[in-house]
Amino acid sequence: MSTVNSIEVENLRRVFTRRAPRKLPWRRNGGGKGNGPGTTGSNNGGNNRPKTTVAVDGISFGIQSGEIFGLLGPNGAGKTTTIKILCTLVNPTSGTARVAGYDIVREPAKVRGSMGTVFSGERSLYWKLTGRENLEYFAALYNVEPSKTASRIDSLLCKMDLEAKANELVERYSTGMRQRLAIARALLANPPVVLLDEPTAGLDPQSARNLRDTVRSLRDEGHTILLTTHYMAEADELCDRIAIIDHGRIIALDTPATLKAGLQEMHSLEVEVDRAPDGVLDELRSLPLVRGVESYASDNGLETWTIRVLTEDSRQTLDALLDLLRASGDRVLNMKANEPTLEDVFIALTGKSLRD
Amino acid sequence: MAKLSRWLYSQLRVIGATARKEFIIFTRYPANAVLELIEPLMWLTPLYFMGKAFSAGGHAVGFEGFTGTSDYFSFVMVGAFMSSYIAVAFWGMAYSIEGDMILGVLEPNWVTPANRVSMLLGRSIMFALLTTVQSLGVLLIGALLFNVKVSGDIFIALLIIVPMLIAILGLGLGLAGIVLAIRRAQTAIDMSNWVFSQISGMQFPVTVLPKPLMAVALALPTTYGYDAVRSVLLGTNPLLPMKQEIIILVTSAIVMCIVGRAVFYAFDRRCRRLGTLGGH
Ligand SMILES: Nc1ncnc2c1ncn2[C@@H]1O[C@H](COP(=O)(O)OP(=O)(O)OP(=O)(O)O)[C@@H](O)[C@H]1O
Ligand SMILES: [Mg+2]
Repeated sequence: MSTVNSIEVENLRRVFTRRAPRKLPWRRNGGGKGNGPGTTGSNNGGNNRPKTTVAVDGISFGIQSGEIFGLLGPNGAGKTTTIKILCTLVNPTSGTARVAGYDIVREPAKVRGSMGTVFSGERSLYWKLTGRENLEYFAALYNVEPSKTASRIDSLLCKMDLEAKANELVERYSTGMRQRLAIARALLANPPVVLLDEPTAGLDPQSARNLRDTVRSLRDEGHTILLTTHYMAEADELCDRIAIIDHGRIIALDTPATLKAGLQEMHSLEVEVDRAPDGVLDELRSLPLVRGVESYASDNGLETWTIRVLTEDSRQTLDALLDLLRASGDRVLNMKANEPTLEDVFIALTGKSLRD
Repeated sequence: MAKLSRWLYSQLRVIGATARKEFIIFTRYPANAVLELIEPLMWLTPLYFMGKAFSAGGHAVGFEGFTGTSDYFSFVMVGAFMSSYIAVAFWGMAYSIEGDMILGVLEPNWVTPANRVSMLLGRSIMFALLTTVQSLGVLLIGALLFNVKVSGDIFIALLIIVPMLIAILGLGLGLAGIVLAIRRAQTAIDMSNWVFSQISGMQFPVTVLPKPLMAVALALPTTYGYDAVRSVLLGTNPLLPMKQEIIILVTSAIVMCIVGRAVFYAFDRRCRRLGTLGGH
């Protein structure tokens, strides 16, 4: 490949060690709770062995200049940790990464100067300052040339559609406006690389759509963008390439189209039932040709559940599936066969759904 | 040379922008701003009456034996004045880290290419300026209401405060590093600020302290700052000749800045290694 990579990540790994919370003396002999996935070490009884979590487990990828690259994964997959490593807030336990050609551990100041970061959540701004005052403050920190600062801020406020509210306190902003202001801040120094951690989390559908348009326009202006998300539809629509990450590992990396094409011969069945189908899922998984099964509450406002079954051939699976469901007492309310989506890619790779 | 002046300029800009930001936020809570400015009066007033109660014919005789002045209230007032500068290190610098963590704005500050020491300096300089305004106000009110007679040269007193303030800023840097690591530090800051002020002789001459505590007092540069300023303003007997006290202050300013900076960056690196930055 002739293009220079703007972000280069090689075998990055991050282990967190946290001392287990000290037990109160009279609770010493209580049974310890099981450890979550990706967790080793124990905290039973009196010995206070530290608990280690492998948040990022040896990931590698390269992001070309001018590309929107998505890290797609469920909660706790290691997305935020990866962002924090790249923006020099957290050191990797091992492995290396370069941003705009600078090593994140050896040249952190240069990395910070070539990058804008948008953190998830809306608390990252000074709520007691106006939008403009926030930008003025950070412009000095990003060392924006003084003579150009005012015009840069004006143009960013305009671009992010915040002009009308520029002189209002951020505490009076909506979530979407705060997110746009955070993006404006990340762009102050016009950095080649922009990192966005869950940029549309907490936004209403319309604001989320607008924000995706904004991200695309940033790419068109030449910024290289790394964003994280746990919405497959968003990753599918927005990203040029996607790395699917789970338990700190990249389990697939390609363009959305290629990822889906890999499943083209598969069928995705969606069955709506009248109650939580916990009991039968394992039986469904053991049916021949079934590659993945997941269930979640249907988002139709009715108290129903959706079972999603990924199978190599729906014609051979369907009958057995219905038999199993009826045998377990579930009432089948609705059924669809779909084109595989990114969600199915995830189910096929991990056997579980991206949803919570 | 041009590079150096550009660097200096960008540092000053960061310091200025941070001070301005802190000031604007301070004014966004107007009731608190007013209260903070008049707060010292509240706890100084009882000390005035206490001084009165211990005096005979306006002279605290026992006190005079230790200090060379019989005016206990003026002594305490100058002590309070100086202590508010110590608070700059503890609250303006160290606590501001915790404040930012609670607000969630530490991370966006930390991912900018700006020098972290400059960011911390900006915060404390705003507090130091406010403190100066506050102290001058207290002195003025003291002169009007409580008969405080400042005989010496305020300008020289302010000159002595400069190296002490620099030493304190060095201390503040080190403390800021510690807060970065332990995160919940409000109570620790409150306690150590109080102990530091008291042992430096905020309300009494350190010569009344028992030997071990006095040794601690004499190891603190602030003790000499308090002592020298009182000597200039009130004509008290200094612990050491003035010249030596000033040498001690200037030396400790340099040493504490170097040590404080090293401590701060050591903790900053540690946080990145442990991955504890941000969150609380
Ligand atoms: N400072 C820390 N100390 C200990 N463990 C941590 C720390 N930060 C993250 N972790 C753990 O590392 C794992 C990955 O967390 P991370 O925040 O990177 O996930 P994520 O993909 O961003 O998830 P989410 O969608 O919930 O934001 C989690 O198990 C988390 O509990
Ligand atoms: Mg996250």
